[in-house]
Amino acid sequence: MSPVAGVPPAPTLVLPDMDDKTIDLARYRGKVVLVNFWATWCPPCRKEFPSLGRVRKLFKPTEFEVVAVNVGEDPETVFSFAGAPDFPVLFDRDSQAMARWPVKGLPTTLVVDRQGHLALRAVGGREFDDPAIVEQLRELLMPRST
Amino acid sequence: MNARLLTLLALLVGVSLSARADGDIEWRHRATQGAVTLSANPIGTAARRSFYTARGFAAETIRPYALACGFSLGMKNSGAATLSTRLADWRAVGADGRAVRLRLPAEWDQQWASTHVPEAARIAFRWAQFQAENIFDAGDWIMGMATLEAPLPGSFRLVALYHDEKGDHEIVLDKLACNHD
Repeated sequence: MSPVAGVPPAPTLVLPDMDDKTIDLARYRGKVVLVNFWATWCPPCRKEFPSLGRVRKLFKPTEFEVVAVNVGEDPETVFSFAGAPDFPVLFDRDSQAMARWPVKGLPTTLVVDRQGHLALRAVGGREFDDPAIVEQLRELLMPRST
Repeated sequence: MNARLLTLLALLVGVSLSARADGDIEWRHRATQGAVTLSANPIGTAARRSFYTARGFAAETIRPYALACGFSLGMKNSGAATLSTRLADWRAVGADGRAVRLRLPAEWDQQWASTHVPEAARIAFRWAQFQAENIFDAGDWIMGMATLEAPLPGSFRLVALYHDEKGDHEIVLDKLACNHD
């Protein structure tokens, strides 16, 4: 994944989950959060989706979370593809939330650091449990020396 | 809908809950220039009509898009330098030298707006296209559909431009052809 220039604050993200409960990304402040924008009709999104669950298991729930943001679809469509994943899937039905994020295509993944800033970005499919990405996430979890 | 209820329903009707890793794509056309790879597959009329009607387009509305000369395009940056693309700079060049530009996603979207296509269908359309402007950091890759402004007979070349810190570059896919199944 590539560093995000300037490490800007993450835009707000407040969306319903699969149970129509409203989730605010701010609730995860203090954790490193991997935010994945995706859709079921997007082949690379489908391919990388299982790796979201795998990478989540590599870290403590108290320090790392995965949030998948589905764009333009409904819970039934997502469920038929993914079942009920262990991590939150949020629904950006009108793509208005995504428009506030630096997303130009699907899939795009951004990693929010513990301070709530955009630290890393990847455009196109990845395997998120790839050792190189896991190492980048570990570095974000390390205490800052300053 | 409650996720537990959905799980139960799926188990009852035998729906697989496992996410299938079926995103691997076999590209029929591929060219590499330095660390950049451009790939393409022609997409037939029926496949595009089916894809978009499943996402809320009326068959008649999506007809002009489905009948246009269309492709799935993929582009990957395997190098370290950031590069950018503008679809408006790309051209398809026929055997007779005639150059045809690609129709930009926003141009299609204007058509959908004027024909009152549902917003959800427009969103799916918008994000399924190869975006008009892209920035590729190291390792990034992007795929999406694209159409020519006008059909070209026989085989043609797709001349794609990209820009990096060293300037403008060209990458060419040869022997493409429209698929009108």
